[in-house]
Parts: sequence; C-alpha cells; structure tokens
Amino acid sequence: MGRILLTEGALYPALHKLEAEGLLQTETVLMGKRVRKYYTITPIGKSLVKERVAEFRDFIKTMSSVLQVQMA
Amino acid sequence: MAQLTSQHINFIIKDLHYRGLVYQPLQEELLDHICSSVELKMEQGNKFLEAYQEVLKSFGNTSGLRSVQQLTIKAENKNRKFMIKNYITIALRNLKKHSFYSFINIAGLAIGVAACLIITLFIVDEISYDKYNEKANRIYRLHNEIKFGGNHYQLTTSSAPTAHTLLQDYPEIEATVRFRNYGSYLVKPANGTENIKENNVTWTDSTFFKIFSVKVLEGNPNTALKEPASIAISKRTAQKYFPNESALGQSLILDNKYNAKVTAVFEDIPTASHFHFDILIAMVGDWPVAKEAQSTVYLSNNFNTYLLLKEGTDAKALENKMPEFLEKYVGPQIAQALGGDFTMEKFKEAGNLYHSTLMPLLDIHLYSDFKGEFEPNGSITYVYLLATVALFILGIACINFMNLSTARSSNRAKEVGVRKVMGSIRSYLIRQFLLESTVVTFFAFLLALGLVYLSLPFFNDLAMKKLTIPFGEPVFYFTMIGAALLVGLIAGTYPSFFLSAFKPVEVLKGKVSGGLKSGMVRSALVVFQFVISIFLIVGAISVNRQLQFIQTKKLGFNKDQVIVIQDAYALRPNNVEAFKQEVLKNSTIQSGTISGYLPVESGNSWRSDNPYWREGSESTTDNMVSMQNWKVDQDYVKTFGMTIVEGRDFSLDFPSDSSAVILNEAAVEQFGFTGDPIGSKINTFSGTLADGAPDPSQMESWTVVGIVENFHFSTMREGITALGLFRGKSDGSVSFRFAAQNTQEVIQSIEKTWKSLAPGQPFQYSFLDEDFGHMYDAEQRLGRIFTFFAGLAIIIACLGLFALTAFTAEQRAKEIGIRKVLGASVSGIVLLLSKEFGKLILIAFIIAIPFAWYSVDWWLKGYVYKVEIGVTVYVVAGVSALLIAWLTMGYQSIKAARSNPVDALRGE
Repeated sequence: MGRILLTEGALYPALHKLEAEGLLQTETVLMGKRVRKYYTITPIGKSLVKERVAEFRDFIKTMSSVLQVQMA
Repeated sequence: MAQLTSQHINFIIKDLHYRGLVYQPLQEELLDHICSSVELKMEQGNKFLEAYQEVLKSFGNTSGLRSVQQLTIKAENKNRKFMIKNYITIALRNLKKHSFYSFINIAGLAIGVAACLIITLFIVDEISYDKYNEKANRIYRLHNEIKFGGNHYQLTTSSAPTAHTLLQDYPEIEATVRFRNYGSYLVKPANGTENIKENNVTWTDSTFFKIFSVKVLEGNPNTALKEPASIAISKRTAQKYFPNESALGQSLILDNKYNAKVTAVFEDIPTASHFHFDILIAMVGDWPVAKEAQSTVYLSNNFNTYLLLKEGTDAKALENKMPEFLEKYVGPQIAQALGGDFTMEKFKEAGNLYHSTLMPLLDIHLYSDFKGEFEPNGSITYVYLLATVALFILGIACINFMNLSTARSSNRAKEVGVRKVMGSIRSYLIRQFLLESTVVTFFAFLLALGLVYLSLPFFNDLAMKKLTIPFGEPVFYFTMIGAALLVGLIAGTYPSFFLSAFKPVEVLKGKVSGGLKSGMVRSALVVFQFVISIFLIVGAISVNRQLQFIQTKKLGFNKDQVIVIQDAYALRPNNVEAFKQEVLKNSTIQSGTISGYLPVESGNSWRSDNPYWREGSESTTDNMVSMQNWKVDQDYVKTFGMTIVEGRDFSLDFPSDSSAVILNEAAVEQFGFTGDPIGSKINTFSGTLADGAPDPSQMESWTVVGIVENFHFSTMREGITALGLFRGKSDGSVSFRFAAQNTQEVIQSIEKTWKSLAPGQPFQYSFLDEDFGHMYDAEQRLGRIFTFFAGLAIIIACLGLFALTAFTAEQRAKEIGIRKVLGASVSGIVLLLSKEFGKLILIAFIIAIPFAWYSVDWWLKGYVYKVEIGVTVYVVAGVSALLIAWLTMGYQSIKAARSNPVDALRGE
C-alpha cells in the first residue's frame, strides 16, 4: 500500500502538540454529559501560519523544479 | 438531529475506559467526537450499537484509540520540562523519606565505586609505563633464554658484541644501546670528602639519548658520553652535588677511583619508567667496564641490549632471524669452549636451549620478570587480578541497589499505579526510575571521590605507588560522569523494568505479588554476592598463609640477629680484616664474616656461577654442572648458622683450604660422585684465551672438604640449585651475628669503628631478616591488597544483607506479631528470619569453593616451596562469611523478634 493510513483520532496528537506549543487555544463548552472543545488559532499561531505556509510553498516549488513536475 | 440519551453516553464512557482510554483531556474530546459521529450514523437509520461499532472502526478500534492516546501524551510532553523536575523532586523526596535505605544504597555504592576508582588509577598507572618514549613502539630489548648444565636462565641481558654485530648485519636496526649494571656506587664531587651512596648508576653507550626520549637540559646530547671518563647526570643529582651552579664540566669521583666529567644534565626520568638512572657512565676508554664492553666474547651475557628498529620493521621477522645469528657467532665460541664435536644441533638435541627473543619496550614493565632487570617490575597477572576484583566489588554494590529497589517495590507500587492511571506510560516510568538510580549514583560518586581522596595515601602505602587523583585533567571528569551514568543505568535497569511493569488495577487494589515474584532473582543475586565474598576471603587467607609459610620455613640458615654492613670495599685496600677484628672486640658480637655473597637476594647480594665437572669425567656438556661459586671466609658457615652435614667447615688450621670447596647437598647430587664425596675433586677452567673465551688447556681443581645442608639463597619460587663455598676474598659486605640485646647499641658501636677506619665513606647497614622480607615484597603487597579488598567486598555485601533483613522483618511484622501472640519464642523467630538468608550463604559457599580452590592452586604453582592449603582454610572462610552475615542479620532479626506484638497488630 505505502499510503498513510489515518484514523479519525489521528488529528488529536497534532492538536495537543500545537496547543502545548501555544499556537492554539481552546474553549470548552459543557453540553450535559459531553464536553465540546473549540480550538482557535492564537495571534502567535496566526503569524506563524503565514511563515509556515510560505515555507511550504517554497518547498513545493523547489521540489517541483527538482522533480520537473508541472504544478497547477 | 438525534440526540444520544444519557444511558448511551454512559455506555460509551464505560466502554472507552474499558478500552484503556484514561487520559482525561483526550477522553473528553473523543467522547464528543464519537457521540457526534454516532448521532450522524443513527440519523442515516442505523441502530445505536451498529453505529457505535462502525465509528469505533473508523478510529482503529482499541489499538487505534490507544496509539492516539499515547501519541497525544508524547506530543504534549515533548515540550514540557516539568516532568523531569517532578521526577527529581520525587527521587529526592524518596531518598529523604527512607533515609536508612538511601544511606545503605549510597554508602555501599560509594565504597564500591571508590574501590573501583582506586584500582583503575592503579591500572592506568601500570599500563602507562615507558610511554613517555616517543619511539616506544620501535624499541625492543633482546632477551635470551638458555638451558644448560641443569640450569635454566631467562636473561634480560646479552653479550657485549651482540649489539654491534646485530647493527652491522641487520639493516632494519637503526640504533642500539647497551647498559652494564654494577650495582651501587659511592659518589663525591671532585673537591668533596664525603661519599654518598648512589643506587641508580649504570654504564651505557652514547646512543642512549638517541633512543630514549630523555630530555637533555645542559650539554649536547649528540656528543655527551662519547669521550672516555664522561658521565651524564640527572637534574636531581646535579642539584645534589652542585647546588646553585652548573654541573656541566664539573667532575664526580665514583668509588674513590673513577674521576668522571659531567658532559650532560638530563631531566629526571619519569616515575612510570622501568629504569630511573641518575648517573650514566660512558662505556668508552680503558676503565675495566669499558674494556668489557669492547670484548668480542659472546658467552657472558651481562649487557642489557636495546634495539631501535627502523620505521615499518616487522619485529617478528627480525626475531626469526635470531637463530641464524646465534649459529653464526655464538655457536663457534661455545664449540671452542667445550671442545669436542660441538654443534648447535647436538646442543639442542641434548635437551639444551639457546633462544633469543625481542621484548617490546612497552611490555617490559608488565610482562618481563627475569634475571637482570634494573628494578622489580609490575605484573600483568596482578593487573588482571585487581581489575577482576574491582569489577566484583562494583558488581556487589550494584546488586545491593537492585535488591533494595525491587524488595521495596511494594512501597512504590501504589505510586506506579497512580502514575499509570494519571496517564503515564511505561517508557516514562522506566525513565523515571532510571533517573532515580542515576541521582543515587551521582551522590555515590561524589562520596566515592571523597573516600578515594582520603584513602589514597593509605593505598599508596600498601601498593608502594605514588597515585594521585587527576583533578587537573578534563578526561577524568568526563570519565567519572560517563561512569556514573553507566553505573546508574546498569543498577537501575532491572528495578525500573520491574517496577514499571506493575498493573495499575492490581496494584491499587492492594495486590502486590512483586515481593514473591522477584524473590528468586533477589536470592540469586545475594548468592552471587557471597560467592564473590567467600572467594576473596579464601584468596586472602591463602596468600597470607603462603607468606607465613615462607617466613617460618626452615631455611638452612638463621636469618635473625645478623647485621650486614654494606659496601665494605670502601675500607680498601687493607682495612677490611682490621674492621672485622675491631668490631669483634665488642662482646655482644658473636662472630663475623667477610663476603659479598649473602643467602638472600637483594641489591647488595652477589651471585656468580661457573661450569664445573667431577674429576675423572670428560668436560663435556653432559657432565658440566653450572654451580654458584661463592667466595667466603672461614667464619661464613658459623656466622649465618648453616649446618655442615658431612666433613668439616673451613678452618685456619688447614692452609690447604685455599683449594678446598664446601658443596651443598644439591651440588653433591648433581655431580653424581661415585663413592665418598668428601675428598673427591671437581674441576673448572681457570684461564682465558686472548679473546676472553675459556681456555680448555688450563684447569683448576678443588677438593671437597665438607657438605653443607641445603639452604635457600633465592626466593621460594625457585628450587635450591648447586652451590659451592670457596675460600676467597669478597669484600662486598661484612656480616656480624650479635646477641639478642640492644640492637641500637650494636649499630652505634659498629658505626664508630667504621667511621674511624673509613672516614668519609657512608655507613650502610641492613638486617638479614629484613633483606629476606624484601624478597617477598610483591607477595606481601598482594596479600595486603587482597585482604583489604576482600574486607571491602564483605562489608558491602553485608550492608545489603542488613538492609534486606531489615526490610523482610518490616514486611513480616504482622506475621511475627501473630506468632508471638500465639506463643513463639524470640529465638524461634530469630531462627525463622535468619534461615532464609542462611540457606543462600550455604549455597554460595558450595559454589565458591571449586573456583577458589582452582585459583589458589594456580597461584601456588609458581612456588617450588608452598604451603598445603587444607580444608580448614575453606571452612574458616565459609564459617566466617556465615558468621559475619548472621551477625548482620541477627541484629535486625532480634530487633524484630523482641518488638511488642501489639505495635504491629494494632494498626488494623
């Protein structure tokens, strides 16, 4: 197969990591027995997003030129 | 939108918990996530259970959920340092709370580490010998092994022309240097009057400074020692004889006759060297030794010969060429000396041996212990032995740590349970316990450093070393920290895996089976500790027994109450006899004898041997007996208290005694006399040819007048060989037997006589029994070191046992209480508690005995004369181990047995 297999829970480790790093903040709403947690991006996170996205674009660009793939 | 009922939600919560989802923050989120998904599925017409199963599947079922939980915890903790802080806090708190166990843990480990560190310092020092030489790995010493005439020699010396001939014939040799040692010299500056005795004097070639990396401070290393009558001296010698001035160009007078000019001053030779010369005398010119050095005779091996090989030379290949060299140069000379149809092949066929080998410079200190060494060397056996002992002791200390940690696991079990429930995973717990053991180890190492600092002078005394802690070297700190981490890891691995494996549910319910499960391992470790302890005790007792045997063995002479005045030749030319007579006037002196040949081996005793044969037999290889010929005066046998078993002693009443000999029993046996040995004659070569080889046409003969009982004149490692006493002049020393009175008075009286007859000469004396003791310095050191470390091992093992018993007693407090209430006696309970560990020590005893027996037997093989190690030694070792252990346990057991049962039982 060789593909990445993602379960539904796979997102949580990443979310918790980002929260621990202070890039996300959470808000919990009690709903009877259930607790719902809302994740929002923090100002630090926001500024980092721009950087990371730019970095990622750069990376893809480099890769595409290296691999001679036409990007859309 | 369908809403799940609270029953449904409860069901899901329970199910998730059952599947191992315990991490609260994640559990909340997932619950909401799963509920929402289930609701969505139910809207599409599924029943609750079906919907839930499907959703679970999308989460990867139990294993998927768990891995998400683990990843989440890991992701969160990656950035958080506070867990480490928490571990350290808990570790310190634990150490403080159980200060008794902590103390035993840390103290035991510290003693072990300290012992290990001292031994490591010792070994590092031993293996660093001669490394200061830049060309060390190209320098070799020529060794000769000769078996001939019933004697077997391992020589570190070669003949005078060997070095020169080798250099000429074998281009792979770059340079050679020879040393000729004549013992100590009496030295004074040219304008001085007082002689000082110098022990480290040698004759050598001018190539010395080219081969050995000894720095020349003054003078030119290329020209020093090239001229006749020139010497080079060490810095400390220069300062001694020429304080505050340059020694270069000044003169020293050696033995009142050699006036030598200082042509170089060199840096003191480092301690880690197999020689420590202070005065080097040039071997050129026409002084006797210089003439000997120019000899072309290959038969007398008196020169320590060192070869510097060219870069890239294979020493083994050169060594393989040595038989060819012997055949070409040495063979013809032996043939000439022995006459007849001698060839090297026949020589070897007759069971004789002549063999030259190359000993690498760096191996000399640890591997070479043959005739002609400059100083007593170390021994690789002792290095291995001590390394093993160091590992053993460290092992015992680590085992203490493991045993105490696992034994006390029940105390930590609840903590493990709580941590697991709070979301800690196994690898974190392992990390935590490893960190704890490392903290303990670090404390132990700090304490060990202090212990080493305090005990190093004591050890230096014991081992006759000058070891220091290398505080100045960064390598030392890195090694220490590395070792602390390693030891922490080794000691902590087993407990941490053991503790972290607890199941939280069982532990929190109060079911701790750990104590029993680990019992086997713990017992095995205790057995191991005591096997080592008993082994070391047997070793220590055996070494000391052999030493005692040597001290008390009948030697064939009486070593007590004899004072030896050294360097009597300083009284020359005619005062030696006068000195003896003058001293004898003192009524406490019973008898005296002038002879440099003493029945103990030390720096002062002389030895020489020659081939002899029984008159009436041919002077061939088969009949030759290589015999010690000692020149003594008529009072020798009397003064040393030897026994004449047949015939008579030398006497002034027989002028013919100048051609008489007294043989020892070993010599009589080797000559194989037919008929009465008394009155028989033995022959030897008396003249030499022009080139120095013995002249077969000149012979001398001696009449046997007496037979002296065999006496030990060498160490007990060697047998007693053939020896003959001849009347002759030998003024190396004068020995006096004195009555057992005030020794100090005897010394003062002799010194007064000496001062009047030999003004300006140093008065040097020793007692024969002390000289005898010095022959066994190495054994005595081994004995003391062994006893010391055996003691340490058993102390550490007992520390562990002490704590283990204390712990068992604590755990069984209720049981003991009930037993007492039901009428058990104190002694019964003590027995009950001791039995468990007593059994282990018995097992250890049985395992240790074969090992100990084998090792002791191996060590004693090196002695011709050895003590019988009977069963008693083993019994003593076993019983003492048991006794010490029992006393250790006894205290705790009795304390537990005597405690009031009410205190133990009231709690519940």
